[in-house]
Amino acid sequence: MTEEPYRWLEAVANRREYVREQLKGGTPVLAASLADGILLLGVGGGQSKVFELFDRLALAGLGHPADIEKIRQAAIDAAHVEAFTRAPEDVSLRRLVGFGLGPQLKTNFEQIYSAPLLVESLLAELGTEPTRDLFFRLHFDGSYQTQFGGVVVVASDADAEAAAKKWLGEMIPTKPGRAEAANLLLQAWWILSENKPFAEGLPDEAARQAGWRAGLKGRDIEIGWLAREGLRPARYQALTASELGL
Amino acid sequence: MSHSQPIAGDFLSLLAEHRLAPVTPAASAAAPVQTQATTVFGFHYAEGVLMAGDRRATAGNIIVTDRVEKIIEIDATSVLAIAGVPATAFEMARVLQTSFEYYRRSQLQPLSLPARVRALARLLRENLPMTMQGIGIVVPLFAGVDQTVTPPEPHIYFYDPLGAQFQAVGYAASGSGSGTIRSILSFQENFGEPKPSQMNLREAVRFASRLLSTASEFDSATGGINPATETYATIKTLKASGLETITDAQQKEFLR
Repeated sequence: MTEEPYRWLEAVANRREYVREQLKGGTPVLAASLADGILLLGVGGGQSKVFELFDRLALAGLGHPADIEKIRQAAIDAAHVEAFTRAPEDVSLRRLVGFGLGPQLKTNFEQIYSAPLLVESLLAELGTEPTRDLFFRLHFDGSYQTQFGGVVVVASDADAEAAAKKWLGEMIPTKPGRAEAANLLLQAWWILSENKPFAEGLPDEAARQAGWRAGLKGRDIEIGWLAREGLRPARYQALTASELGL
Repeated sequence: MSHSQPIAGDFLSLLAEHRLAPVTPAASAAAPVQTQATTVFGFHYAEGVLMAGDRRATAGNIIVTDRVEKIIEIDATSVLAIAGVPATAFEMARVLQTSFEYYRRSQLQPLSLPARVRALARLLRENLPMTMQGIGIVVPLFAGVDQTVTPPEPHIYFYDPLGAQFQAVGYAASGSGSGTIRSILSFQENFGEPKPSQMNLREAVRFASRLLSTASEFDSATGGINPATETYATIKTLKASGLETITDAQQKEFLR
């Protein structure tokens, strides 16, 4: 059946639709480049959304936990083999995604007889200054967008994701502290989770503050912090909400 | 379990999959003149464990350098002190650094102290052919923090060249100057005042520097301390809170 070209295209289109449908229930993850480092945030079950990959690299993803795990493990394996055979300084996000994860995801997506990976993710590489922080927004089909600095949002709906990114891009520079930024990311997480608008009809701040607290429903806030300053090569710290006073 | 089945979180298994095993036995008819690194030691002081080493590497009667780092940070809670052939020892340190971090990141938990201690024993055992040929011998010290007790406690371990591991009660030393250092440490612990285990950081750093100076008087392979040429020891401390490096500037200040 799929030997015919149009059948193959149809199969891929069906697959894309299936993956998007499966990802709809995923809870968003977010990241922001700040003066002192990169903040990554998600809401999940302990260690399920935000992860350390290497000394200056981190990952946050939404989707099926087993598929997030496959991406995470592949990235960690590749980074450590590269660091050992060459040097830790040679581990770069551009090579990791461009030559590793991206092609692997594309291959998996196009193999229509195997189960697709249900994962949308962002990857962050800490730079020497905020404008050199590198983000990759990696999609389930292996495509990706890159950006230096700013905010990255991963949500199951592209329009909502763009709106959240725009809103956070305007808000975070006004409150650049780490705890304040985390609070804003949580507000955006709640708005996305509740399918509320970011422009007209945006809930006021009191509602947003109350909303994200109520929206946790017993789940953990997972916070990763890539610190720009530090004595050790490994700059990632897993922070708790209470450590940030949230 | 099949031998070809990789062990979860084991970096050496991952390297083997990629045919990148770092330690492979090699046959050699004659041993070349080897670069050697001595002398290292560690002892318990009031706040934790202090690990120190001179900075000299020699090859036969030649001083190769007086700037080698023999006290190597493996991760935030463990440190390796190398005595023997640097080529092998540095590679072991690199394997341990990558293995421990790989395990922590991939398994989402740190490797336990007993597993860390055995990981080094395994590398020494795999280095046995080189040791038996008289090249590549390494006799390291290792210190790590035991996180299973409250508060966490740092411990010192020493090894023989075949990989046997022993926990040091008060102190351990390795390398050509270790005889002198062990003698002084034993004397100080039994008859001295303060005992090493009672010393504060300043006293411990001064004591460590003097140990190395004394060892260098009797062993040409041990580099001493020379403030005139800004040559100081490599000193790191391991406490419940983790690893810290005592910089040259701090040593200079402590030695005034």
